[in-house]
Amino acid sequence: MAYRNLTSQEIEKLKQQGCSSESWGTLWVDEKFTPEQIFNAHFSGKVTLGVYSETLTIPSLGKHPAGIWNASLKDCRIGDNVLISNVQNLYHYDISHHAVINTVQTVTMTGETHFGNGTELEILNEGGGRELLIYDKLSAQIAYLLVHFRYQKNLIDKLQRLISDYCESKVGTIGHIGPYAQIHNCQIIKNMTIGEGALVEGAILLEDGTLAGCQEDPVKIGHGVIAKHFIVQSGSHIDDGVLLEKCFVGQGVRLGKQYSAEGSAFFANCEGYHGEAVSIFAGPYTVTHHKSTLLIAGMFSFYNAGSGTNQSNHMYKLGPLHQGILERGAKTGSLSYMMWPCSVGAFSVVTGKHAANFDASDFPFSYITAEEGKSQLTPAMNLFTVGTRRDSEKWPSRDRRKDPQTFDILHFDLFNPRTIGKILNALSILQNLGEKSRKEQEFVSYKGLVIKRLLIRSGIKYYKIPVAIYLGQCLLEILEKTKSEKELKEILFSIPIKENTEPELWYDLAGMLIPKSRLETCFEKIVSSKTDSVETLLLIFDEVASHYKADNLSWWGHLLKKEYGVYPSELNKELIIQLLESWKTNTVKLNNMVLKDAEKEFDPTSQIGYGLDGDEALRKIDFEIVRGTYDENPFVKKLRLENNQVETRFQAAINALKIFRLT
Amino acid sequence: METKKLQERVKKVVANVLKMDPEEISDDANFIFDLGADSMQSLELVAAFEEEFGIELDEDKALSVQTVADAVNFIASYLK
Repeated sequence: MAYRNLTSQEIEKLKQQGCSSESWGTLWVDEKFTPEQIFNAHFSGKVTLGVYSETLTIPSLGKHPAGIWNASLKDCRIGDNVLISNVQNLYHYDISHHAVINTVQTVTMTGETHFGNGTELEILNEGGGRELLIYDKLSAQIAYLLVHFRYQKNLIDKLQRLISDYCESKVGTIGHIGPYAQIHNCQIIKNMTIGEGALVEGAILLEDGTLAGCQEDPVKIGHGVIAKHFIVQSGSHIDDGVLLEKCFVGQGVRLGKQYSAEGSAFFANCEGYHGEAVSIFAGPYTVTHHKSTLLIAGMFSFYNAGSGTNQSNHMYKLGPLHQGILERGAKTGSLSYMMWPCSVGAFSVVTGKHAANFDASDFPFSYITAEEGKSQLTPAMNLFTVGTRRDSEKWPSRDRRKDPQTFDILHFDLFNPRTIGKILNALSILQNLGEKSRKEQEFVSYKGLVIKRLLIRSGIKYYKIPVAIYLGQCLLEILEKTKSEKELKEILFSIPIKENTEPELWYDLAGMLIPKSRLETCFEKIVSSKTDSVETLLLIFDEVASHYKADNLSWWGHLLKKEYGVYPSELNKELIIQLLESWKTNTVKLNNMVLKDAEKEFDPTSQIGYGLDGDEALRKIDFEIVRGTYDENPFVKKLRLENNQVETRFQAAINALKIFRLT
Repeated sequence: METKKLQERVKKVVANVLKMDPEEISDDANFIFDLGADSMQSLELVAAFEEEFGIELDEDKALSVQTVADAVNFIASYLK
């Protein structure tokens, strides 16, 4: 773009409009520049101005002409149709077209900066050892590798090198404010990159950071926010007095109501209000809404923290010993406390105060309660609670990300090779514990936990339900896609099977499910010389994720061999019908158990406090007005409908099978 | 099995799981509202009945049993 010096007439006009400059000769303007909309501006250093001819629509000001009013600018490039109004200091910034900076104390740079890129977070252990380098294209999966695979030296070295190179490419002495970004009523904006369409309103201090929004999903920063050394990805809103220091905020995150976080990473769709986070890996959908909730040095995903949730372990040792792992879908009840290190299995609930360092990672869908000073595990208890089902169904519909480029890869299946694999471990452990226990024993011990002996048997029984559902569900989905026996055989024969191997271990990489062998391939690709940028890393994960369904099916095939002694290609009609019947029976059974749990929310205990000062009839009426009835509850209706559909799907599959020989 | 005897054995199991005196348990006592059983104790009761009577109860139907009288009838149906 061609720029020119001001004409003497333009300089005179600007002076008449209250403008001044240390050197008019270092003020450059667009060919089509006119000075009509520049008032009371002071220019110093090299300043480049564009064209200010449009009228902008600004939420707090209404319609307002673009231009510069009451501002001091030094070494800046101001794009076309920008509005800069009442800005005490605007130094060393590149302001893109249609940006608005209105009533802001200072927007400055103080030398070379990375804009938050390359900030190191001490994740999972306050004392360090699992440092996470943050940058504006970081995904939950790459963060997971950096934090959890420290023992893969080549991998970590390569990741750190790629990220460092990327961060170096971000170094600059000029700050950026993207097109259509708006900054209103703020105090200090220092060493920042502010992305397209961002709205920053009332922030106290933003320093050394990036707000990486886009037109489709801009970032919003609200009143009273203080943030230093940070990255915020697209679509995230941070408001109402939030304090952040050394933090990464992924896409579609909500932080507000005075939430405070240090050294922590929040990935897609997290929510943090009121509480505090230190050194946490908040995987996707980590939610903490309450005061007095401290999450510290833990790994979470699809997690809900009850009020007063707290963890610790300093214990006057060599320093903090942390490393709390709550696998996906875990919940902690009000005032729950855990002494790190601890490990909680997927979709489990923890209540009470736990002083033992327990490892419940092999027991998904369980309750962990504190009973008389012991941590008590009730295996499989959370399989049939209404909350588990509701949670697993709500997450996909609550993905807020609108950015065409999403960074975190998310898999939502409740029963998947990871959770079913863990259940198989649990079954084996419970069987072993059952065989070794005596009838007189009330409890058996396992890795810092106690389990009521009687509940070993029920745990085994309940854990078998999802295994049967998973086995039948995969088969049913194949049958539903199949139009002929030939096609069915083709699919069954095409499922990749490694003979004489057990179903392999799957990882949950903060939302992304992946088999061990696939992850190893991913590692090889990352360390290869062909991978030369952080963008390539994202492509590797996209490619890997594209195999999820096929990998899932392959795992199912191995599980089929383990449980029934046949590979998919060896399935006969009789066994197919048996698997489908088992799927039907167990799906309906589990749904009925969930329905039974939902029913409790309408029983007399749940009606306590309703119909205040009235009789029982009034209590019931009041309750029904507020909570509705069990039969009309949308969740109950949906589950009942699902039970009907189970029968329909089963019958359709059986009918389709009638014409198949499958010998 | 004679109903009276079955009832006594059911109450003994309930008393053992809920740590109560069997005398405190009435024939029609509701496990949750009268005896204060929580959801984990409900599971434990099912497991304890299975062990005491050597039977395997249907999971979802067992969770529908709400009173001592229901339990006696439900278990009796398995012992026929």
